[in-house]
Amino acid sequence: MNLDQAFNTFLEESRELLADLERYLLELEADPNDSELLNALFRCVHTVKGAAGIFALDHVVAFTHVVENVLDRLRAGTLGLDAELAALLLKCRDHIDALIERPSADQLDEPLRASDAALLAALAQYQEGGEAAAAPVPVQAAAPKVEVSGGGVVGGDTWHISLRFAREVLAHGMDPISFIRYLGQLGELRYVTTLSDALPAGDDFDPESCYLGFEIELYSEADKATIEGVFDFVRELCQLRILPPRSRLSEYMQLIRELPEGPQRLGEILVASGALTEAELAEGLRLQQEQRQREDAAKQPIGEVLVAQGVVQPELVSAALSKQKQSRERQAQASRYLRVQADKLDRLINLVGELVIASASVGLNAAKSGDADTQEAAAAMSLLVEEIRDSTLQLRMVPIGETFSRYQRVVRDVAAELGKDIALVISGADTELDKSVVEKISEPLTHLVRNACDHGIESAERRLELGKPAQGTVRLNAYHESGAIVIEVSDDGGGLNAARIRAKALERGLIRPDQTLSEQEIFQLVFEPGFSTAATVTNLSGRGVGMDVVKRSIEALRGTVELLSSPGQGTTCRIRLPLTLAIIDGFLCRVGDASYVVPLEMVVECIEFSASETEGRDIINLRGEVLPFVRLRDYFGVDGAVGRRQNIIVVQYAGQKAGLVVDELLGEHQTVIKPLGPLFAYLKGISGSTILGNGQVALIVDVPALIGRLTQHDDALAGRRLPRTGAAAALPAPVAHH
Amino acid sequence: MAKTVLVVDDSASIRQVVAITLKGAGFDVIEACDGRDALAKLNGQRVHLMISDVNMPNMDGITFLKEVKARPEYKFTPVIMLTTESAEEKKAAGQAAGAKAWMVKPFQPAQMLAAVNKLVMP
Repeated sequence: MNLDQAFNTFLEESRELLADLERYLLELEADPNDSELLNALFRCVHTVKGAAGIFALDHVVAFTHVVENVLDRLRAGTLGLDAELAALLLKCRDHIDALIERPSADQLDEPLRASDAALLAALAQYQEGGEAAAAPVPVQAAAPKVEVSGGGVVGGDTWHISLRFAREVLAHGMDPISFIRYLGQLGELRYVTTLSDALPAGDDFDPESCYLGFEIELYSEADKATIEGVFDFVRELCQLRILPPRSRLSEYMQLIRELPEGPQRLGEILVASGALTEAELAEGLRLQQEQRQREDAAKQPIGEVLVAQGVVQPELVSAALSKQKQSRERQAQASRYLRVQADKLDRLINLVGELVIASASVGLNAAKSGDADTQEAAAAMSLLVEEIRDSTLQLRMVPIGETFSRYQRVVRDVAAELGKDIALVISGADTELDKSVVEKISEPLTHLVRNACDHGIESAERRLELGKPAQGTVRLNAYHESGAIVIEVSDDGGGLNAARIRAKALERGLIRPDQTLSEQEIFQLVFEPGFSTAATVTNLSGRGVGMDVVKRSIEALRGTVELLSSPGQGTTCRIRLPLTLAIIDGFLCRVGDASYVVPLEMVVECIEFSASETEGRDIINLRGEVLPFVRLRDYFGVDGAVGRRQNIIVVQYAGQKAGLVVDELLGEHQTVIKPLGPLFAYLKGISGSTILGNGQVALIVDVPALIGRLTQHDDALAGRRLPRTGAAAALPAPVAHH
Repeated sequence: MAKTVLVVDDSASIRQVVAITLKGAGFDVIEACDGRDALAKLNGQRVHLMISDVNMPNMDGITFLKEVKARPEYKFTPVIMLTTESAEEKKAAGQAAGAKAWMVKPFQPAQMLAAVNKLVMP
């Protein structure tokens, strides 16, 4: 007898059953409630389905499964047999008859497929609650591929299985040894220790009871679920603990780490990784529940329960816990943040700016009214408005860390190109600054980082000669300092060579041979246009568009940049930026009828101006220093007579001082900067505007531009007059940094 | 001596396939077409495992199980019941009658052999 014969038997048998089915159906029409007939009817289809399954005729199984479901409902009485259903079932019978002859679904021809679909659709109406015609699920998984090592492998890499059989296991016809033997098929049984400590004394011994427990070391490639599957039949008749081999631990941990993130429970994570089986989890949860009911004490976490149960190693629980924590944090973080359109934020900030102005106006009018209550209310409001302003500006603040981390790649690439070994160390990544500043600072930072790698860090050989570690370090650091953010790019390279910079500056005509400059001033020369000290021009930096561009971009952000260096120790480039671009503290002054705001951070002092001291030139002697000045009245072409008293606001920018001659000093004023329209883009000396509390427009003086203009002008003047005035009049006057 | 398995199923083709598979694995097989037939064929002879369908004419699997477990010589014989996936109440009845091992139909011969091997090796 072989399988072909068996298949023929199947066909024959099925035809007989289908013939019976037809007969039963017809008989049932006469007596629809005959339960014997209904049972027989069900059994016909059931048997065909079971037999078809064993011959792997999946298409037959799938179809008969649906028919069987309908018949099951007939049998249960939840469905009545009417002429229509009987007709349908007869059609199904014919269809099954046709199906069984086709060895697989691929060999169904078109009409057969069509009728399959049509009948299934018709049967669907009779299915319970539209129950889907799910394909039957085979319970037994295919036997796993087992790889057995040649033996002699040291233990420790084995599954550890603890088995304690229930007394009554024998009474259920289960032979403990048969399971262990089967387990041996999954791999290699290294050790099987039989525990007989539960054996009672002779008199109490019941030969029909099982008193044995086993500790098994199994070497196997099978997974935990497969091993557990061995004991399917005795799952309720034994205590089972399966611990994976040590070598699996890291594998499980890896799996746990790589699991997709989701709202997962600890048990689910462990089950998903395969370290825990569903049954073990269910048992653990049940125990946990029991525990909670028994003692009112705090509930023991499921992880601890599982470890105490010995079904999972503590390492895996902690790996799963950290995974869970990570998932939760990620989720919590995601829910803590709100994505807001930048436009909306800009509009809000703009409105807050208006609010600040309006509040100033209220304050002004309150003061004018002289009414104490009004003044108090205005003061209270002004405080709130300030708070609103600060919080609103805070909305635009982003940590600089993301920008910083981009330079990892820059450093890696540059280092690779130069053949140097350079590490980038980032600190202060949490430091926040205005989003628009972050965007604008990234370009100059790139340049500085490249510079540090290229010019700063020496070659590995040179570093070793100097007793430094071969790997150079470039550091990016950020911190807040008195209302400004400081960003530092430092390297642990050779430092700046003041003599070489000076020589180069002389060669380029940036300084005069007789100029005395402090080391600090010499370093700043690096930022002069057209300065480059690299002996050879490399691909990366030093093409002459270097540091002056950096300086200009930073100044455009109302920031400053300076270089600090100590020979042999390295160089630090320190950038100081205002926290935000939207609001500045200003110094309000009046020229004629117009108001001007000078950014307060650039104001050094204010002095009285007397035209007699100027000797007819636009410079004054400020405590021995030569201070060039500009009359804003002339510069901006303001109408009206010069006032009786004039003042000079001494401003300083980038190490240079200048004076601005104004009519009246009005004091500090918080200013919301309103950018100038494109029409005024070419306007020199004005960087923006603001609205005062009284509704008047004030212009914001562009100090860097004015100083730049003065310096150029004075350089030309100085060049001409040098022989006469001597070194004392050398301009610009060097000023120490504050 | 080869171990003996009793196979009870009303489908001749299933019996045949199960028998072929088990014989191939080294078992002796006794076939029966329903519970009544099975009891008659057993007749006190030793078997190591019984595999029985539930839904059969004349005597169904649950009744057969109760009957056979009542006989002392078969009290310790393991039984695998074959069932469909939706027969929970049948399963409960079977468990009450003393069956611990269940297999869901339809199954492939290899799956059946694996299940058998968990209980008895040839």
